[in-house]
Amino acid sequence: MITLTDFLVVSVALFCIGLYMIISKRNAIQILIGIELILNAAILNLVAFGKHDAVNNSGQIFALFAIVLAAATTAVALAIILNVYRKYKTIDPDKINNLKDQ
Amino acid sequence: MNNTLSHTDTSIIICTIAAVALPLFAAVVNFCLPVKSKVAGWVSTLAILLGCVLSAKVFAGVWNSSQIHIKEVWFTIGTTKVYAGILLNNLSVLMLLLVSLIALPVHVYSTAYMKHDERYGRYFTYLSFFCFSMLALVVVDNLVLFYGFWELVGFSSYLLIGFWFTRDKAVQANKKAFIMNRIGDIGLLSAIIILFVMYGTFDIDALFGHSGAVSFSAIREGQWAIALDLLPKSVGSVWLPSGAKGAIPAVWQYVAVAGIFLAVAAKSAQFPLHTWLPDAMEGPTSVSALIHAATMVAAGVFLLGRVYPMFNGTELTILAIIGCFTAFMAATIALTQNDLKRVLAYSTISQLGFMVLGMGVGAYSSSLFHLATHAFFKCLLFLVAGIVIHQMQHVKEDNNLDIDPQDILLMGGLRKKIPLTFMVAVIAGLALIGLPLTSGYLSKDGILIQAFEWSDGKSVWLKIIPVTALITSWLTAFYVARLIFKVFFGDFRLQNIHPKLKLHLTDGGWQYKLPVVLLAVCCLFPLFSFNPFSYETSWLFKGLNISRITKFESIYHLIIPVLVNGISLVVLYLAYAIYVKQNSFAFSQTGFFYRLSYNQWYIDKIYKRVFVKPVLGLGKTLFWFDKNIIDGFVHLLTNMAGCVARFSAWADKYIVDGFLHLLAAIVQSIGNFARKFQGGKVQYYLFSMLVIVLALFLFKILL
Repeated sequence: MITLTDFLVVSVALFCIGLYMIISKRNAIQILIGIELILNAAILNLVAFGKHDAVNNSGQIFALFAIVLAAATTAVALAIILNVYRKYKTIDPDKINNLKDQ
Repeated sequence: MNNTLSHTDTSIIICTIAAVALPLFAAVVNFCLPVKSKVAGWVSTLAILLGCVLSAKVFAGVWNSSQIHIKEVWFTIGTTKVYAGILLNNLSVLMLLLVSLIALPVHVYSTAYMKHDERYGRYFTYLSFFCFSMLALVVVDNLVLFYGFWELVGFSSYLLIGFWFTRDKAVQANKKAFIMNRIGDIGLLSAIIILFVMYGTFDIDALFGHSGAVSFSAIREGQWAIALDLLPKSVGSVWLPSGAKGAIPAVWQYVAVAGIFLAVAAKSAQFPLHTWLPDAMEGPTSVSALIHAATMVAAGVFLLGRVYPMFNGTELTILAIIGCFTAFMAATIALTQNDLKRVLAYSTISQLGFMVLGMGVGAYSSSLFHLATHAFFKCLLFLVAGIVIHQMQHVKEDNNLDIDPQDILLMGGLRKKIPLTFMVAVIAGLALIGLPLTSGYLSKDGILIQAFEWSDGKSVWLKIIPVTALITSWLTAFYVARLIFKVFFGDFRLQNIHPKLKLHLTDGGWQYKLPVVLLAVCCLFPLFSFNPFSYETSWLFKGLNISRITKFESIYHLIIPVLVNGISLVVLYLAYAIYVKQNSFAFSQTGFFYRLSYNQWYIDKIYKRVFVKPVLGLGKTLFWFDKNIIDGFVHLLTNMAGCVARFSAWADKYIVDGFLHLLAAIVQSIGNFARKFQGGKVQYYLFSMLVIVLALFLFKILL
């Protein structure tokens, strides 16, 4: 039988992988993928906890919303990455350091 | 006393002022003319000629009549009024006339003598300036003015001795003369100050006149004070200005007299201070004739004449001893000198010694009489010497010889070549010896006779003074004879050494001849007395006589002239035998006395060793002290201050600044450390945030 703990372990694994990707990758797209993994870990938690919720299917519905929103934010993020590439000719976040105090 | 001046007195005063001021005017004009201008000589000569005429007029007006004294307030200090004025009495008008009369031929002579000099105009500027100072000196009525002109006379003499200032010897000589005179000036100044403290006035007439305060003062019980019992009945009391002490300790009287004696010794070249006069002969010969033989050196004797009442019996005796010693010493030195002018210089010192001796023995009028006669014949002798030296200089230049034109050993036989000069030289020489029919006889015999009369009734030791004076006059005869025989008789020794010599010696133009002839006439007796054998009948002696005790019947009046002249003639023959006939009678040149005389009694050397060297040594020591101790101390202070400054600079740089730099560096490193987190790397921000969150978790969990 698959218990809540198993879901949560997968979710933690996803979160940690996402976090690691965000910190360590040198490519904005891969960072974006890391963000998606963290979002998915959160959605997985929503669904897993939704089984034990007093209200029926509220977790699934909330997850659906989250997926939609994630798609929207990904689209925005991709658009930003595209513009960054246009301006800097690179998508390595280390090289785009104009945000630092001059 | 000046309100009652009559018309003639006023004109006499104006004449006096003009006579004194004319040479000053000439000096100013000459000073403005170009240095080489030939006009200068005639400007000066004309001034002195006019001065001479005016002096003669003043002389005629004042001589043997009442004295003229005018004064005006010169300046006021507090309540003390200092007057400036003119005092004309027999003494001052005699000197006034004498100085102008001597200066006139010297001026004429100088126009020729200095003709080729580069600084002809300057010479006459100085000469006129000297005449002004000397003439003013004799007529002023006031010790302050007297002192001023005394200094000016010394100053112009200094200028003229060093006239050829490119010669080192002349510079040394004028320096020496100036320093010696300075010693005397200190004495005179001290005496003037003491007199002012005592009597509260500088007025010569009020101090030393017939009813002057000094005559009524005496030393009693250790105090120098006005003695009322000395006052004549007619006077009653002595008026002294307020501020005058009227009585001071006796020692000040001695100091004042010593000061006056110092002044006299310096100016008139008496014993301790005489060494400047022979050296002063480095000046032009015409200057020596006017200043260092006839007039300026007589200023000391003139001062003695002015302040005569100051001296009491003992002080007069000391004066006589000094004068006598000077006369004797200078005469012995003159015996062996070979420099023509040096012989004459020592002869001048000797004759001045006679004058001081005369003052000392109370032969007041004879002393001043001798001053007047001496001025003429000594001036003449110097002018003759000038002609001879001038001719020798020509010989030297024509033949390119390396000789001293003043060396009498090189001369000889000049009487045939310059006969007029020879004749006037003989007249002047005879006057200097004091043979009858000359003016010198009248004045010198007066001094000798009165010296013998003075020593009568005094202790035996004081007899030495007149006897020494007598011996001195024989020595005078010898050195004069030696001089004239060596220069004018025998063969021309220079020609013996250099047989091919070209000679054309002459007496010179009228500028040479006229002055010497005029002076030669003045050396004869008729100018001074109609009786050539009795000085008492001389008008000059009578005019100056103050003693009023005249005992002309003493035996000395017969013995002395016979003794003096008899032995003088023997001495003259002796000199003739030695120097003209060249007998084997010559003196040894190695004996002690010869060396003593030839080296001028070693006085210069003694002074050099006793005064000059220690003073120079002291100077060097002080210089060393200054350089090493004072400067060393200052340098030490500098170094110490430098060290302190360097230390504080170091402390500023490394401690104060260092602390500030440290603070800055700390702040900077903190800033840099904080800055590192703002690297602009988005992922790094995230990572930092993660680390901090984890740390917080750990913190929470562990506590």
